[in-house]
Amino acid sequence: MGKILCATRGGAASRASQDAAIALAQERGDELIFLYVVDISFLNQTAAPLVVDVESRLEKMGRFQLAMAQERAAAQGISAGALVRRGQLRAELLAAARETEADLVLLGHPVGTEAVFDEAAIQSLATSLARESGVKVRVV
Amino acid sequence: MRRWIRTWGLFAFLLSASLILAFASRGSRAQEQPPSPLVTGTIQDSQDQPVEGATVQLGAEAEGEALAEAVTQSNGRYALPAPQDLPDNLFVQISRAHFEEDVVALSAADIQNLRNGESVVVGITTLPRRITPAFWIAALIFVAMLVLIATGTLHNTLAALLGASLVFFVSYLGEPLMEDLFIFGFDRALQYVDWNVIFLIMGMMIVIAVVERTGIFQWLAYMAYRLSGGRLWLLLPILMIVTGVASALLDNVTTMLLMTPITIQISLALGINPLALLMPEVMASNVVGISTLIGTPTNILIGSFADISFNDFLVNLTPGVVLAMIGLVLYSEFVYRKEILAPGKGEISPLLLEKLEERAQITQPGHLRKAAVVGTGMILLFVFGERIHLLPAVTAIMGATALLVWIRPDIEEMIEAVDWTTLVFFITLFIVVGGIQEVGLISLVATGIGDLVGENLILAMFVVTWFSAVLSTVIANIPFTAAMLPVVGYLTATIPGAGNKVLFYCLSVGSAMGGNGSLIGASANMVTAGIAERAGQPITYLYFIKKGFPALILTVALAMVWLLIRFLVLAG
Repeated sequence: MGKILCATRGGAASRASQDAAIALAQERGDELIFLYVVDISFLNQTAAPLVVDVESRLEKMGRFQLAMAQERAAAQGISAGALVRRGQLRAELLAAARETEADLVLLGHPVGTEAVFDEAAIQSLATSLARESGVKVRVV
Repeated sequence: MRRWIRTWGLFAFLLSASLILAFASRGSRAQEQPPSPLVTGTIQDSQDQPVEGATVQLGAEAEGEALAEAVTQSNGRYALPAPQDLPDNLFVQISRAHFEEDVVALSAADIQNLRNGESVVVGITTLPRRITPAFWIAALIFVAMLVLIATGTLHNTLAALLGASLVFFVSYLGEPLMEDLFIFGFDRALQYVDWNVIFLIMGMMIVIAVVERTGIFQWLAYMAYRLSGGRLWLLLPILMIVTGVASALLDNVTTMLLMTPITIQISLALGINPLALLMPEVMASNVVGISTLIGTPTNILIGSFADISFNDFLVNLTPGVVLAMIGLVLYSEFVYRKEILAPGKGEISPLLLEKLEERAQITQPGHLRKAAVVGTGMILLFVFGERIHLLPAVTAIMGATALLVWIRPDIEEMIEAVDWTTLVFFITLFIVVGGIQEVGLISLVATGIGDLVGENLILAMFVVTWFSAVLSTVIANIPFTAAMLPVVGYLTATIPGAGNKVLFYCLSVGSAMGGNGSLIGASANMVTAGIAERAGQPITYLYFIKKGFPALILTVALAMVWLLIRFLVLAG
């Protein structure tokens, strides 16, 4: 039995990639792990006082997002795991792929004009991730 | 033996000290002479503002050296002691960086009066401004800082620090090459730093850090959901009110950092687009934050500069804010009607409800009780403290200290909770803005606006409010407000009827509510968008403008209506 690592942010656009990951796990009989990365680099641009422990808040939000993904998987008969990491997406994705000994990493295609990444950026991330980790990466 | 030495040693010390003081006193009495007659006067700029730090010399045509020299005080006044032997011609020479030199000749009668031992008042001398290379450099540094902040090329603090360093670099290393490159020295720069603002922000950071850790805001957001019973049209205004009230007591960024993650969780659990709740929340935060002195950094700047108290903001702005908020709630209900009125929305799975409830626990009830007691005391001091001239910064520092002493948290953790980069940002921002004030750019802008509005107070109110609102959509509102303060101060001093500080309230409304016009208009917008993006719900620039700009027009117009009623109709 292999392992599928699916990086997700949990928004409406991520549901398609979550569904694809669930379907693939069913088809291959693989273990499925959803991954959420807490990245707070956007706070570098603010001038107002930052006294809130933002990372912890976002980690809780991430766990909630993953719980929703797990609930979707459970509804389709798949018991999925959840993993939250703090740091930059690319580095944490690489580290998570190594730590979980994943056989396949799934990334979602950008959906709509308001997507966080464009297609080229996702493909570039997938290529560099596959090269550095030696793990198969698929954009779904 | 040791006791003997101590006793007699002390006696000898006191005796010798007394003798020294007695002789010194006799010596000084022996040197006392009748006071010299003085040549006094006041220096002001073309806007009738006192000019501090001007060098004033008393000279005679026949002699090259100055007979006496003084530097003008903060009120622009100087006093030159006249020497005993006076020549027949005397003049007062005034010089200061960024101003034209001026020479005032004393009349024969004045010189005779001085000889008779009587002081002479020269009166008010107006120094015209001089546009020097330093003027252009200071202006360029300020604009570059705004661009770096607006484009996100550099962190705000780094941009302001770079600006302040460049001001000093040009002043100290440029002056030996060309005198007109001098902007100001370090001592003068420090005079522009408003320490009241720095300490108020620092004190409030500590208080917020303690309160934030109690989980109260997550609990409030969850209770909003419970109170609404899953009815989204009701949940929307409740969350807006919770966010607004929190924004009036905390700064907007902190409020949105606390509210955004839990709001996203609630909306995802309810199956609605999180932006339908987040956008109204952040707009409410920008609108309601200005109802108190501590609600926004811009109000802290305005309050400290114009001596506007916590009470003044509450009385003069809150009704306008309530009016704007009512308009904003109706607007949000209309704009997001498809989301909140769609059938089937608002139902939540038991598992997600359990997880939401788990996250909405008050984690430190003991700390929360203590924080509530101290917070109430602080609000009472903010409200009534002005009667005993208690500065808000002192109240904030006392409140923070009381909370730390009572709760005894990990002090290292609390010191780390103070966002020092923000304090450095404000200090260096004051220096950069001081630079453009020193070289006369602010005076030039103030004169331009003054010429535009003349003595028409209503026109001035419209210009200040809408100019601030529109510019705040593209320029970070903190540096903008800091630069506008002296301009509004000038208009307040020159326009009849503006003495009630109405134009400062217009600046507060414009700079804060203007933040709703674009994503980069307010830091709270940026952090909300940042968190939303991490949840896979990006808020694009275009999306924000489409939803936010009409809200800007509506809320500023409603607040403006209140200001006109409050200061023109009710004030008679």
